[in-house]
Amino acid sequence: MMKFALAGNPNSGKTTLFNGLTGATAHVGNWPGVTVDKREGLYKKCAEPISIVDLPGIYSLSPYTPEEVIARNFVLEENPDCVINIVDATNLERNLYLTTQLMEIDVPMVIALNMIDVVDKSGDRINEKELEQRLGLPVIRVSALKGEGLQELMERAYQASKQKRNGVTVLEDSALKHLISDITIALDGQNVQNPLFHAIKLIEQDELEVEMHKETVKMVEAFKKTFTDELFGNDFEALIADGRYKYITNNFSVVMQHKNPDRFRLTKSDRIDKALTHRIWGIPIFLGILFFIFHLTFSEDLFFLGSIFGLPELPEAWYTPEGDPINFWVLLLSCFYNGGVFSPGCIINNLWNEIIVGIPFGALQGLVEESGMQSWAIGLINNGIIDGLCGVLSFLPWILTLFCLFSILEDSGYMARVAFILDRLFRKFGLSGRAFMPMIMGFGCSVPAMINTRTLADDKERTATVRVIPFFSCGAKLPILTAIAGGIVAAYGVGNADIITYSMYVLGIVTAVISVLAMRSTTLKGETPPFIMELPAYHPPRFKSLILLLWDKAKHFIKKAFTIILASTIIIWVLTHFDFSWKLLEDDQINQSILAQLGMLFQPLFTPMGFGSQLGQFGWVFVVAAVTGLIAKENVIATFSTLAACLMAVSGLDFGNLAINAEDGIDAVRAMIQATGITVPALLSFIAFNMTTIPCFAAVATAKSELINKKTYNLTLLFWVVTSYIVGAVVYTVGSWWWTAFIWALVAALAVVVIKLYNLRRNS
Amino acid sequence: MGPGEILLIVACSAIVISVVISYFIRKKQGKTCCGDCSSCGGTCSCNKKSK
Repeated sequence: MMKFALAGNPNSGKTTLFNGLTGATAHVGNWPGVTVDKREGLYKKCAEPISIVDLPGIYSLSPYTPEEVIARNFVLEENPDCVINIVDATNLERNLYLTTQLMEIDVPMVIALNMIDVVDKSGDRINEKELEQRLGLPVIRVSALKGEGLQELMERAYQASKQKRNGVTVLEDSALKHLISDITIALDGQNVQNPLFHAIKLIEQDELEVEMHKETVKMVEAFKKTFTDELFGNDFEALIADGRYKYITNNFSVVMQHKNPDRFRLTKSDRIDKALTHRIWGIPIFLGILFFIFHLTFSEDLFFLGSIFGLPELPEAWYTPEGDPINFWVLLLSCFYNGGVFSPGCIINNLWNEIIVGIPFGALQGLVEESGMQSWAIGLINNGIIDGLCGVLSFLPWILTLFCLFSILEDSGYMARVAFILDRLFRKFGLSGRAFMPMIMGFGCSVPAMINTRTLADDKERTATVRVIPFFSCGAKLPILTAIAGGIVAAYGVGNADIITYSMYVLGIVTAVISVLAMRSTTLKGETPPFIMELPAYHPPRFKSLILLLWDKAKHFIKKAFTIILASTIIIWVLTHFDFSWKLLEDDQINQSILAQLGMLFQPLFTPMGFGSQLGQFGWVFVVAAVTGLIAKENVIATFSTLAACLMAVSGLDFGNLAINAEDGIDAVRAMIQATGITVPALLSFIAFNMTTIPCFAAVATAKSELINKKTYNLTLLFWVVTSYIVGAVVYTVGSWWWTAFIWALVAALAVVVIKLYNLRRNS
Repeated sequence: MGPGEILLIVACSAIVISVVISYFIRKKQGKTCCGDCSSCGGTCSCNKKSK
């Protein structure tokens, strides 16, 4: 099968083009460095199917970063039939630097002039025919975002792939050309493929080339002695780079015609940046935007209108004595308003739970009740499987709303600015702003976030970042946060769910910052690498890619619910309905079950965090939930939902049929609160523990493969356990007894002193 | 125990066993992909234990 490679600068639109050509839904972000490895897809609209390989974004073919090595090795060693060089038309001159290097390789090549629509809109003009003539390569106008010009691009690439092409250099200095020619001939004589490219890289003393052609290096050095340059002397790398830029400047300033001759004027993005990246207001604006996102997702009092204007709740007469709405219209209205206007996230969530999940699953439970099956079978289906699944599925709309809003921020280009804003702050803690991008990805899923740390050049910085990524609460942890926040508000009537959730997210970030500070001051001490990042222009998010992202997220969540979560709920139900002699137990005998006995065994260990021995006979449910969360974090709420019916049976509480109630995950937490008497600080400590402890299996496996060696991996596991224990204990003790804040402050001060002494000893 | 209960036991066992087996197969193949492609910049390469 034919193979075409997509190569270009970071954030030039390669992945958008890849998605457009192959129908894939790979993650696209408006910041440089989203793609860290190559990926393949299939294009079927040509004369024959073509495999498309999306390479990570690179600025050159020099091996400065892992991405550059991946892209270079692919083009040189995998012999693609054609290279499609994506050039950002809004940044033509800079993008052509890579083009001049790719041209030196003996591979058919076409230029995709991407984002040409943005250039046209600005009134500027690129003469692509002139560009094509000067480069000697086909140039095609495309807009990957709008899907324009893709068919023509592939047809021209297909035609180009049928013809052999030899590499050419753009370096015009005659003495340098002579030197390159001599070495090219010598390499060609040794049957080296792509001799021109290797010759130039050998002259540059490229470390990979020197390693590959050890025997030729001496000859190259001998050739180089015959050459001197007045300006650069023997710095051949600088000399060649200068030669490329001279060629670009001389040839391509005529290709680009600017509508406004003063092209260094402030653009719209620059003007927005003046406010959003302000050195003082930048971080408060970011925190404000973050809070606004949480408010739009979780608040039951949008813009606090209910509190400000004292809006009334729906009349009691509209509800039955059991608390159910008297008809469908009241039910529908209560999804939008009840003493305050609900946020969009809450409205979608209510509609989902009341109508889409509640009605069919409620009906299914009714059918099971009337099926005439034995009581244990009814219990397994209704209380184990359906309640467990509904408990997790009830959070899907909130997850999608939150990710939709995060994705809008990312697509707009704002997240790249946040990395820039935070660089100064991060630098104080031993990280560069670059480390922020994987951390932000951690809000989605820890696995790709850990993979994205490959873009960090320094191993110690990378290890520190991998370790703190799980503290950035991922989508799977969201049900824990929202269910417990909702449970606290419902059971204790304190606070707002959105503020509690937001605070726990911020706690995760603060824990990450403190952990990095501790690591980079002690075991992972090292220089913080400089941070250079190209800020992309702001642009409105693309509706289609937003929908595809949400679809992917929903698909993944539902698939996980009906596989891992479903299997877990079955296992949990079995373990709570059998004792060690495998005798079937009734719901009210739950404390004799295998799970309860095991949970009770470990319960004392969690006492410092508030959900251990002090909770009495049912306290083990929190221990069990925390452990099942190690498989997948959604399991925590699935465990609560599965156990809720049993606890209600024992404790005499009744919340009705959980599956037909709204927010049934929240009701499951309410059942836990009432059955165990757990306090608010202990619940917050439980969230903090789950946020910072060992992440799910998939994330642990990724950490193992991404970390530098097994010792670092084992230390990382230990780090997660210790950190979660400390954070949980701090949250509980400070929340329970304010005066202990003073003691913990003293402990923190002592830790700082110990770190300083450790460093002094190490330095001496 | 009626046919409904037997069917339930078989179905539940099949679900649990298939999830466990698929986990071990993926582990043996060295796959670490979480399956959540919506946040992923690595896609198919997540499956390789490459550094």
